[in-house]
Amino acid sequence: MGPKNFIVAIVLAIALSAGIFLATRLQTPAALNSAFVLPAPAPLPGFSLVDQAGNTITGDSFRDHWDLLFFGFTHCPDICPATLQVLAAARSQLAAAGQAPLPRIVLVSVDPERDTPELMGKYVDYFGDGNLGITGSIDELKKLTSGLGIYFEKQPGQGEDYAVDHSAAVLLINPDGDFHALFSSPHTIENYVHDVPLIMERQ
Amino acid sequence: MRPYLVVAAILIGACSTERQPPLVATDLVVTRPMPGTGISAAYLSLTNNTEKTISVTRVTSVQFRSVQLHESMLENGVARMRAIPELEIPPGQTLTLQRGGKHLMLIRPKGPADIVSLQFFDEDSLVLSVDAAFETKAH
Repeated sequence: MGPKNFIVAIVLAIALSAGIFLATRLQTPAALNSAFVLPAPAPLPGFSLVDQAGNTITGDSFRDHWDLLFFGFTHCPDICPATLQVLAAARSQLAAAGQAPLPRIVLVSVDPERDTPELMGKYVDYFGDGNLGITGSIDELKKLTSGLGIYFEKQPGQGEDYAVDHSAAVLLINPDGDFHALFSSPHTIENYVHDVPLIMERQ
Repeated sequence: MRPYLVVAAILIGACSTERQPPLVATDLVVTRPMPGTGISAAYLSLTNNTEKTISVTRVTSVQFRSVQLHESMLENGVARMRAIPELEIPPGQTLTLQRGGKHLMLIRPKGPADIVSLQFFDEDSLVLSVDAAFETKAH
């Protein structure tokens, strides 16, 4: 093989390698760290609750933006604030990275007996601006949670001294108002910063 | 021997013979009272330097109306929190109270405060007293 043919062979080999590399990258989307994306997004069930300002919240309230829904209660000292801190920190990091749109953080109270709209407002505001705190009657709450596979149950206690067991998952709702993906515990800032933009891009 | 070496030797000797406190707290973190509920959580490591098990059965704080011993757990995707009767620290062992596990729940602050004091009791015996600043808001 002469020098000219040798150079042509090298160039062809490089071009072939680059083609294979690009084709592989285009065909294999980046893997998600922890989120489970539903094969088909599921519409939210019918329900009527209220936010911290007393506005009625239904499934339509989740249209036109991405929402991260967590089910918890304000008298929870450990897991609930820790989860909301993770979501708030992840949202801040996404904002700093220029991510748009940003998901809204939504706390749905599983303890409507103690969690009034006023209390929900003070609580969710602690974790940043623009968060939504939802509460309402047990019956309406059950309509939402049972339709999403979310469990909660008040535990025995004395007076206002009681705990509420609840699912620890965070649900991602897409701008069509559909349940789109699920993040299971343990929740980490890194997983949300990595997965949320990828899921949004693929929508 | 030079004078400063004598001083150093005396200090080392003093340290080596000094008795360690029976219960030592490290890595103490107290979250700020949450707006609306006034609830805080405290996390720390407790090391038992004695040859007997220490059981912390009660914790008090002058800044809070009540302190409860709690344990959070995650079972099949469900978060649960339960009151526990005691924190048992075997001889020579360290018990770590951390997020998602055993912790102290501090209920209803008596007023504004920058420092929180915690007193740990084994039945009626005070076994540890510590002070800490509230955690800086993380976001």
